[in-house]
Amino acid sequence: MTAIAPAGAARTRRSMGPALAQEIAAAVALAGFAGFASTATADPADYVSTPAVEYGERELEFRYGSASGPGAARTDAGSIALGYGATQWWFTEVYAKLERDGGGSAHFDAFEWENKFQLTDPGEYPVDLGVLVELEVPHDRDEGYELKLGPLLQKDFGLVQVNANAFLKRHYRASEPEVTELLYQWQVKYRWREAFEFGAQGFGDVGKWDDWDAAREQSHIAGPAVFGKLRLGGRQALVWNAGYLFKVSHAAPDHTLRAQVEYEF
Amino acid sequence: MPALGARPTDPHARMPLAAFALAALVLIGLGATGTATAAAEPEFMLVLRDHRFAPAEITVPAGARVRLVVDNQDAAPEEFDSHALNREKVIPGHTKATIYIGPLAPARYEFIGEFNAATAHGAVVAK
Repeated sequence: MTAIAPAGAARTRRSMGPALAQEIAAAVALAGFAGFASTATADPADYVSTPAVEYGERELEFRYGSASGPGAARTDAGSIALGYGATQWWFTEVYAKLERDGGGSAHFDAFEWENKFQLTDPGEYPVDLGVLVELEVPHDRDEGYELKLGPLLQKDFGLVQVNANAFLKRHYRASEPEVTELLYQWQVKYRWREAFEFGAQGFGDVGKWDDWDAAREQSHIAGPAVFGKLRLGGRQALVWNAGYLFKVSHAAPDHTLRAQVEYEF
Repeated sequence: MPALGARPTDPHARMPLAAFALAALVLIGLGATGTATAAAEPEFMLVLRDHRFAPAEITVPAGARVRLVVDNQDAAPEEFDSHALNREKVIPGHTKATIYIGPLAPARYEFIGEFNAATAHGAVVAK
């Protein structure tokens, strides 16, 4: 064991500096939200993002979600994605998304380009911080383009990991009136065993970011979730999580089942 | 609670709450990153050579945040991986990486080099 005085320690490469991170966030916000617009529908295949990035990791990802009600037919959504940890602080991933409404057949819904920026190293500060920026190109051109961005926060309390994220989402060049919506997601999990962790998670959409919808019109869902990682040797691993979420507000789907499986290689 | 479809009489009435919610999340994160911690944390060195960590066991103070500096002297990259510490970090060949851990409860926390797990393994012991 070698203890080194901090003053004499050689500093190693760290995460992207706060100044650069803030510049990126500001630039994206200005470029995007200067003219972006919206109406949002919840994606039942959505997942809770975490701020950490693994450099060099390649990932093949599958997501599925199914939501039913209130007073509407079931909506199924799924996606396949390919992701890559391009740097120690930037993970980029491209999705092809499918959707099926009611008893209809599945159809291509959208392409999505997701970018995650790790702003602090895990444990470096009391709260880990990242930023998520997503650009979606829906197949239905009436929906225009969709931009979503916001902070990713994580805090560990021993074996309990807490995540809380908030996003602004807006459509651009859509036929619907343009609004910027405020969404959130959270999860708490107990890291019991690597192959099996358990906890809860939730997702919500309060409507226009600066003029929230009435409570009955907001969408909030929450419920139990399970997580795990199965090592396959070397760089390969299967990482999975799933949740069964119940409506917490009047306008939310009655039940939502969501799952995500990542093959890391 | 307003009736279905009703709008607030003052369209800006909810803005402070919405702004507060978003700002709180951002400020928690940015405020946390503004906390100077580097100067106060003890630092410990681990060397990775021939796909083995040296020392294989490292003792750190319990209840304190510390920095592990992992010096990968191999040509190949390695991933420091520990479910117990909730840390995963890829270290390219011939580079060093800093991994922040703790505050830890007194216990033994195992870690591996995920790309060469047969030989690259060790433990952090918090006392």
